[in-house]
Amino acid sequence: MNRIRIQTHDFDLAQEYHQLRELSSTVGAVVTFTGLVRDFELDASIDSLSLQHYPGMTETLLQEIVDQANKRWQLIGSTVIHRVGELLPRDQIVFVGVASQHRADAFEAAQFIMDYLKTKATFWKQVSQDGQQHWVESKDADNDAASRWDSTDD
Amino acid sequence: MESQEAGVQKLVTRTIALINLLFFGRLGDFSKDVPATIEASTPAEIRQRLTTDHPTLGKELSEPQVLVSVNQMIVSWDQPLADGSEVAFLPPVTGG
Repeated sequence: MNRIRIQTHDFDLAQEYHQLRELSSTVGAVVTFTGLVRDFELDASIDSLSLQHYPGMTETLLQEIVDQANKRWQLIGSTVIHRVGELLPRDQIVFVGVASQHRADAFEAAQFIMDYLKTKATFWKQVSQDGQQHWVESKDADNDAASRWDSTDD
Repeated sequence: MESQEAGVQKLVTRTIALINLLFFGRLGDFSKDVPATIEASTPAEIRQRLTTDHPTLGKELSEPQVLVSVNQMIVSWDQPLADGSEVAFLPPVTGG
């Protein structure tokens, strides 16, 4: 079972973990990743973060990423949650959870989903610093992280 | 026969479509004065026409990292457009 949610409200890590754990008695591993809003961007502190996305297309792209993960690894279920709207430093922003029989599948799939989400899903961050708003630039490190999975593409 | 010819004529002249435009991320800051719709036959033509009236936006759209989608699918800049299509200009994504 794969679940994708885009929402303004927060999520509960324990509840998400519990749902993945309860998917099946064959679940032997659950890997979860939670991304938080940092209080700095490019060495300057931020007051808040605003997240824009492309409704409809974002869900489609996330579904494609999850589908690819299911082709590459033996997964029992996954959950992807991404928050949008106004967020503050230390807020939870993204959750990826993967359940599988064995840990290697869950570890790798979670990392793959997160790497692809960062470089392919249609989200854009805008930060507020000293009353000034500016759009966050994409980072080469994120593209490098995602491209390591490309070489083994089916 | 006459109606068939009229049909063909209509098909030939309907290469320009009315397109709904969307700009995301930083591109939104440069597109505040851009109309919500435009007539064009390809995304490349939209970009060209926007560059004439909005050179700063045009320069941004010409960045190689900017992608274009039609009806929420990433496409090439020479993709033919149908009437009522939704064309979105997408700067590099920064989610997660």
